[in-house]
Amino acid sequence: MAETDTKPRIPVTLIEPIDMSRLDPSFREEIRSMPDADELSACFACSTCTAACPIANQWLYKPHQLIRMILLGMREEVLNSKEIWECLTCFQCQERCPQKVRVTDILFDCKNLAAERGIVPEKIVALAKELVDKGQLYVVTADWEREDLGLEPSVPGLSTEAVKSILQGTRTGRLTKGGD
Amino acid sequence: MTEVTKTVDYPVLIIGAGVAGMTVATELADSGIKAILVERQLTAGGNALDLYRAFPTDDCFYCFEGNRWRPGIRKCFYRSALIDQPNLDLRIGTTVHSISGRPGQFLVTLRSAPQYVDPKKCTLCGVCIEVSKAFSFPSPQCQPQCVVFNPALEDDRAKEAAQKCPTNAIDLDAKPREDSLTVSDIVIAAGYHEMKPSSIDEYGYGRIPDVVTQLEFAKILDPNGPSGGAVVRPSDGKPARRVMMVQCVGSRDENHYPYCSKICCVFALKHAVVAARERDCSQVLVVYMDIRTYDRHERYYREARESGVDFIRGRVSRVEAGKDGGVDVTVYDSLLDRYLRFSLDLLVLSSALEPAEGFSDLLKMVGLSASRGYVTPLDIATEEEVVVGAGVYACGAALGPAEVPESVTQARAVVMKILAGRR
Repeated sequence: MAETDTKPRIPVTLIEPIDMSRLDPSFREEIRSMPDADELSACFACSTCTAACPIANQWLYKPHQLIRMILLGMREEVLNSKEIWECLTCFQCQERCPQKVRVTDILFDCKNLAAERGIVPEKIVALAKELVDKGQLYVVTADWEREDLGLEPSVPGLSTEAVKSILQGTRTGRLTKGGD
Repeated sequence: MTEVTKTVDYPVLIIGAGVAGMTVATELADSGIKAILVERQLTAGGNALDLYRAFPTDDCFYCFEGNRWRPGIRKCFYRSALIDQPNLDLRIGTTVHSISGRPGQFLVTLRSAPQYVDPKKCTLCGVCIEVSKAFSFPSPQCQPQCVVFNPALEDDRAKEAAQKCPTNAIDLDAKPREDSLTVSDIVIAAGYHEMKPSSIDEYGYGRIPDVVTQLEFAKILDPNGPSGGAVVRPSDGKPARRVMMVQCVGSRDENHYPYCSKICCVFALKHAVVAARERDCSQVLVVYMDIRTYDRHERYYREARESGVDFIRGRVSRVEAGKDGGVDVTVYDSLLDRYLRFSLDLLVLSSALEPAEGFSDLLKMVGLSASRGYVTPLDIATEEEVVVGAGVYACGAALGPAEVPESVTQARAVVMKILAGRR
């Protein structure tokens, strides 16, 4: 029977399943130890988060699937996904979740983990750079809306220096210097 | 004789005249024990009165195993017992105001609403109903079989109606009553209430008229109901042919009720089968996250599938009022991983079952603690499930959402316990 060992393995199914032994079961615990992720394992996969999400229809991985992937330990797929960065942070999923899983917060945790490893989309880095350089993302201009709201026509001076110096010391600051 | 026998002569107080309370009261009464059956509403029957058909036999719930002991009597078991059994004292429109004393000798104060119509004299001739809007007949199954008077609707013609009553059954000057009495045991059978899901905005309940709850849908299906059993849209009374049900609305939800309401899957399926097979519904859909047809009720699930009911595993995204009435609903199908849009006539929400109104006050009065809103057994082991305190018992949905047969079984367990205590 020795020769059977040398024969190439014939796949049992035509579809290659996910090899569970290659996943990382510690990923679940890592996420769960992060802020507001303690209810992660309460997820019973009802998909209310996906039903509530205004953007998930164009995602490859839907919110409930991302949670499922975290629970299964699919670290690489989750941290490299574009979905965690495209989340609009409208918090609809989190508001509606019947098991109080803080879905949006968990996606934030994923973003933080990804950023720690330098996996950040270019456009996000560009935004971070803008924020660190100018201390604000959008320059507020005087316009008709201020008058309509009964505010003084000119925008009062906005001090961005403090914001800039705080951001320098944060991960956002480090990211803009090409990661650490 | 000693004092012990004396306490045994006291009656038993049963709070709530639904399926469970009525069973305890009639069976105690038949065993020769005085039973005082207190009901807040103006008719006995509880939620089951509105159910149209009760599973698992799809009968009127009144006949549930009913005539087993009374062969030859064609009259309904509960009806005859509630009114004619001399040991049973049914007090409708009555609440428990206070409870004190000790097990075997509880002192109870009851407050009764004025009894404007004497059920013993009322012949259901309908004269008063024709004359004044303040009089109505709650349900063909109501007990006692008697017209009710609603003082909030009193009009100029109420007095005339009272005068025209051929049996002089109406007394508009009736006064509320307060009674103090001593009872040996207390049975809590306060039942459940269906949550009004208006706080869950995404379903549009209370905002869109064609969004109803499952018990409201039962009334629409009921041949004795306002539409005569025809499935119609509440908004305009037009026939409703496309009906969607949503499961777990407020149940299994940490923001509302964390528990599974247990019976809503089965009664939703029962209604789905009725709508698909016996009414003119061309499309019946059930949106679910898990279907839980425990025990023998799996057959309802199969029957529903055979009847052409469509099941969608997923959740509702959006609900909007339709352009010409009805409801437009977007559903996320989690098995297909696609979003589906439906134009429907009726959206039926299987809303959570919550403890009866004022239930926590009642428990406080008896000195009991609640678990998730319902009463907790002293010992969770099954045969002791109905014992909740010294001389205090609970059965039916007071212990948590329960189906009719389960409520009856628990009620009988209470009767056994009380009888055993009196040997």
